[in-house]
Amino acid sequence: MAHDWQPDFEQLVDEHQSMVFSLASRMTGDRGLAEEIAQDVFLELDRNLARLESAAHACFWLRRVTMSRSTDAMRRRRVRSTDMWIELEEGHVASVEDKASPLGARIEQMLATLPEPQRAALVLRYQEDLTLEEIAATLDAPLATVKSQLQRGLKLLRAKAQSHLKDYVRVKEQTSGI
Amino acid sequence: MEFEPMEPMNQMDEFEREVKQALERRPAPPGLKRKLMDRRSLRRTEHRRSHTVIWQRLAASVVLAVVLCGGWMWHEREEKRKGEAARQEVLTALRITGRALNEMKTQLAAKHSGDEE
Repeated sequence: MAHDWQPDFEQLVDEHQSMVFSLASRMTGDRGLAEEIAQDVFLELDRNLARLESAAHACFWLRRVTMSRSTDAMRRRRVRSTDMWIELEEGHVASVEDKASPLGARIEQMLATLPEPQRAALVLRYQEDLTLEEIAATLDAPLATVKSQLQRGLKLLRAKAQSHLKDYVRVKEQTSGI
Repeated sequence: MEFEPMEPMNQMDEFEREVKQALERRPAPPGLKRKLMDRRSLRRTEHRRSHTVIWQRLAASVVLAVVLCGGWMWHEREEKRKGEAARQEVLTALRITGRALNEMKTQLAAKHSGDEE
């Protein structure tokens, strides 16, 4: 199909590397693996560049392939949530320290413990600001399923956050009491 | 399925804001683009090399096919030429034989008429 868009690979990398890396990193919980996935995704983009019709199509394609590659990578590694905790603790100390609020600092770690479909929906919703329809199209899932996953994920995340906040307040009180 | 307000709305909004803030995009590792461009260039080089190898093999196959075909055609032509030469030799031999027989017939006829006289 003929189209006027002339893609520039380097420009696409500059524009989307942060998005691709962040998606892969949050889905896998492993910076090294995320970097590897990001490279593979962009190399695949290079191979499929001629088929893409617009900048928006390229962005959609990148999100979709990144999510799919991340899911495949996790399936291959069969990472359990407990292992993810350890990896996140070790691999993301700097980013955790950078967060402004104590809750925000733990949200990423809590996110890594959620089931994969819920994590995918939450990451696309809150990192990428996508609508439910866009998330459904990206994950190639029915809209009702995406709504349900998002709702459950948020509920679970909130419950974990409340539990964490209680612990945080208790520790603070103990510290100030000493 | 609609979202059920599991918490008071303002609290839910605040939590969602926290989630959104926590899930801001991370900057990609500094070396990502360089590594990517290196892999891309390496892949392209390999791709070109494999293309060259394919073309070389194709060219070699064409040359081999041309040589075999040429050889076969030369062999056919040579066989035909030899066949034609043999046919000519046979015709010449037949002509010579015919002429000899004719001469013999003439001599016999002359001798026969001499004997009668």
